Amino acid sequence: MFKDILFGTSASPAGDYAARVAFELAGRFDAHLRLVHVLGVPSRGFSYLAEDVRTGEQVVIDDDYKAWVEEEIKTYYAKQLEKCNDYSIHVCVGHPHREILREARNSNPDLIVLGGPTEENEGSAYKKIVAGSTIQLVSKSALCPVLLVSRPAASFWGGISSVVFGADFSKASDAAFKFAKKVAASIPGCELHIFHAMDIGPVHTGLSLSQEEIEDKIREARKKIRHKYVANLEGFEKYSMEVWEGLPYVEIVKFAREKQADLIVMAYSTKDVDAENARLGSNMEQVIMRSTCPVISVNRKMAKN
Amino acid sequence: MPEGTLCNKQTVDTKEYLNALLADKSGKQYYSEMEKLDVDTDKLWKSIKSTLRSRLRTWLEICAHCGMCADACFLYLANDRDPTQVPSYKIQSTLGEIVKRKGKVNNEFMRMVMDTAWSKCTCCCRCGSFCPFGIDMGIMFGYLRGLCFSQGFVPWELKIGSGMHRVYKAQMDVTVEDWVDTCEWMAEEYEDDWPGLAIPVDKENADIMYTVNAREPKHYPEDIAEAAILFHMAGENWTVPSKGWEETSLAMFAGDWGACKMQVEEVYGAMHRLKPKRMVVTECGHAYRATVIEGPYWAGLKDGRPPVESIHYVEWVAEALRTGKIKIDPAKKIKEPVTYQDSCNYIRNAGLKNVAREIMSYIAEDFREMTPNREHNFCCGGGGGFNGMGRYREQRNVGLKVKLDQILDTGAKLVISPCHNCWDAIRDMEEVYHAGIRWSFLKPLLIKMAIPPDHLKVEE
Amino acid sequence: MYEFVTGPLAWLTFIVFFLGVVYRIVWYFRGLHWQMDRVAYNAHLKYGIKGAIRSIFLWLVPFGSVGWRSKPFMTILFFVFHIGLVVTPIFLQAHNILLRERWGFSLWTISDATADTLTILMIVAALFLVLRRIAYPEIRILTTAYDYLLLAISVAPFITGFIAAHHYSNYEFWLILHIICGEIMLVAIPFTKLSHSVLFFCSRAQLGMDFGIKRGGMKGTKFSW
Ligand code: HEM
Ligand code: HEM
Ligand code: SF4
Ligand code: SF4
Ligand code: SF4
Repeated sequence: MFKDILFGTSASPAGDYAARVAFELAGRFDAHLRLVHVLGVPSRGFSYLAEDVRTGEQVVIDDDYKAWVEEEIKTYYAKQLEKCNDYSIHVCVGHPHREILREARNSNPDLIVLGGPTEENEGSAYKKIVAGSTIQLVSKSALCPVLLVSRPAASFWGGISSVVFGADFSKASDAAFKFAKKVAASIPGCELHIFHAMDIGPVHTGLSLSQEEIEDKIREARKKIRHKYVANLEGFEKYSMEVWEGLPYVEIVKFAREKQADLIVMAYSTKDVDAENARLGSNMEQVIMRSTCPVISVNRKMAKN
Repeated sequence: MPEGTLCNKQTVDTKEYLNALLADKSGKQYYSEMEKLDVDTDKLWKSIKSTLRSRLRTWLEICAHCGMCADACFLYLANDRDPTQVPSYKIQSTLGEIVKRKGKVNNEFMRMVMDTAWSKCTCCCRCGSFCPFGIDMGIMFGYLRGLCFSQGFVPWELKIGSGMHRVYKAQMDVTVEDWVDTCEWMAEEYEDDWPGLAIPVDKENADIMYTVNAREPKHYPEDIAEAAILFHMAGENWTVPSKGWEETSLAMFAGDWGACKMQVEEVYGAMHRLKPKRMVVTECGHAYRATVIEGPYWAGLKDGRPPVESIHYVEWVAEALRTGKIKIDPAKKIKEPVTYQDSCNYIRNAGLKNVAREIMSYIAEDFREMTPNREHNFCCGGGGGFNGMGRYREQRNVGLKVKLDQILDTGAKLVISPCHNCWDAIRDMEEVYHAGIRWSFLKPLLIKMAIPPDHLKVEE
Repeated sequence: MYEFVTGPLAWLTFIVFFLGVVYRIVWYFRGLHWQMDRVAYNAHLKYGIKGAIRSIFLWLVPFGSVGWRSKPFMTILFFVFHIGLVVTPIFLQAHNILLRERWGFSLWTISDATADTLTILMIVAALFLVLRRIAYPEIRILTTAYDYLLLAISVAPFITGFIAAHHYSNYEFWLILHIICGEIMLVAIPFTKLSHSVLFFCSRAQLGMDFGIKRGGMKGTKFSW
């Protein structure tokens, strides 16, 4: 399923859960694991200083420093690396999302693994340089699925038995569906739950829909699910479908809990990146932070491939 | 030891030398070699005799010592009116003294001169507009930097910076391949959102040739994508050159006139090659000043103008908004109070004050001027290379206070800053003083506010 | 003595003064260089001249420039000092009588009362200029003995002329002293920083051309001096 996995590491506890998943996946699929560590954000105008993302210190980044950081990474992941026979470490300087994307463009991985949203660099002025978080920006532009892990994953890939696909009928959603189906189909006994959360908007605006309207819309959504997704299951049988109304990220997390999901697959929505709301976090980030299982994000670019 | 291996009178023309300099962490060895560097007093005096002409001689001589320039200088104000920060004093005690002594100055003196030229003046030229005689210390410090550079007394980062221009024809190690690849990458990354988006490289006879700051391909390629999106929205026939795309000039900050010439000739070469109708420079102040305002003189163009008409990004934006090439959704105009950072380099020193106001009138509902503003605005605190020199970090941070107060006094929390240097300085202000301000280039704001033409709307 | 100082010495003084001043001006403009100054003077002469005129004019008018307006106290001192300095000797009746006697022409004149007033104001302004140099740290640091010497050279003819004109004591002595002081001042103009009386115009013209051509003038922007 995966031949080349890119893991954006922070070599710190914040990324530990993601690291476990990344190493486990690489081992399972015999894939090449690329550990990409963006060690510093350039600062000080045109100067050659950067802010080390782990320590927050101003450092001059040269080959010595990079070699030293590489050693640190090796020490940090010593145990896991022992068992991993095909990996490479890439240390670079820049804005994390950009450098991860740059590396992905060069190596064309078929999965990117990232840790969940953290309070990394909170308060640092450098964080505000680019609107949106690393997760948002990588998810938006990656050419492959992005696996986001923010909590200890209960079951590893092999133990996956329940996949929730969060459908939103967009183009990206088509690609997400294909990917979810592929995952479910590749694991014997795995179930696929197709779920749509209907956004009825904030209730306090007073524009809330009547119950009748809501039910109409739910019917409509079910029809769409049948037409767009169920019709394309190509014989896959262990599926269910469900449409709930409410705040999308709350509903999908609730649904995943109910289905004891091991993985959520969602489409990345472009509408999410917005400087003003970046700190609140997008729908996607909310799901990642709240759900107990990892989330895979698939964007519109993959619909073409 | 007269000449160091790193700190010497040579220019940086090879990758090896450049890498050796880069490997010297924070310039430790470089600066220690500098303490022993000989001053070639004969050469210094000879070059003064041939380049210090009537304009500068007169400025040095007739200064009435009246002190009218004192509080024109933001560094004087930021340092609690320290008399040694009075522009006239700064130049008289350095360049003035060298001339008086006919170039017979020693190493220690030259190091003092270097520290003054790079940490006590950003060459913003504000003082020049407050002196009754029109004595422009900014210009004189520019000249003095040239003398320092030729004697090897130049801050480490700028020795490297000018070397980058010599070796890579860019302020950072971005090669032609890197640049072209980045353009392709950005077009790919954003074409889903903007159907038909392309970044045409080396297209001849285009209406616009767009050029950038090397930092964009290196660290913020989004900026290039945003420029492309806006040109695309406006339906412009535009291109970027594969060679000659870099507008900036750390060489200008360094006083390395040879490298300045090499750098702008690279850009003018692209103009000759591609024959565009106009050139547009990205949102960078010193880049515009280097390539459009000063560049023609370095390159020896007698009418003082680049080979094709060249405009700053703000001029293009004003034009696009004025002519309706880009339409702003009235509902999306900036509602919160917002202020504008007048960059000395294209406002005071290139006359674009009204253009900036015109743009603000189209995009902001509550635009607040700083006081003073326009051509009398203070330097952001990071000009002339100040932002990037480790040796003068403390002084730079002190210098930021004047601009910060100016910003806070407007009551606006958002600062529009179409200049890389000012943008950096304002960001650092936030980092150092935690004032709760935000800052932005124009491009991302415009993209959010613009109404995309129908053929560019994508369904989700 | 009187004959000598108003005769050959005066001739010499005026010759040195005029030649010196002309030399300064010629030297200044010949020294401008389009490439080294980075201003294309010749290529855009029209813009340059427009810029130069604005730059000079706005700084010649009291409170005409942003710079003058930002320092009202200094501005008043400056104009009182300089108007006295320039207007009094040129339009003084006594001077013009001498002119007529010796060289056969005279200019339009001001009354003696006006001359007295201008002289006193000028001397008072000079006094404040001195106090200013002592009082403000930012000016103190710039000031050298040379600055005081120049102030003294500029004020001396006014003090001595005033004493002579009012016959306070030995008229002959003060008159001759006055004339010598006046001649020292005139000769000092081309040789010292007092050359600013002409170089002011040159320097302002140059910066005006710079802004009129390169720094915005050709974009149609008028620099608000
Ligand atoms: C060639 C040199 C000069 C000659 C021969 C000369 C001659 C005279 C004479 C004859 C008087 C009249 C005294 C009287 O009323 O009996 C006078 C007054 C005066 N001169 Fe001169 N002068 C010379 C240069 C100057 C200069 C250079 C200045 C100033 C810049 C100057 C400023 C005055 C003043 C202020 C008075 C007194 C006016 C008053 O308060 O009524 N003179 N001078
Ligand atoms: C039209 C001709 C002149 C112009 C435009 C002119 C202009 C200036 C300017 C711009 C300053 C410096 C700024 C300031 O101190 O406020 C100044 C100062 C001064 N000028 Fe003139 N000047 C002229 C003629 C003269 C003459 C003829 C003299 C005396 C011979 C003179 C003596 C002085 C002195 C002594 C100062 C220093 C004032 C101080 O201590 O601050 N000026 N002048
Ligand atoms: S304002 Fe001009 S004349 Fe006065 S001290 Fe400053 S530089 Fe000298
Ligand atoms: S050019 Fe700017 S920074 Fe330099 S002395 Fe003048 S006002 Fe100060
Ligand atoms: S950094 Fe900005 S404000 Fe400062 S001198 Fe440069 S352009 Fe001016």
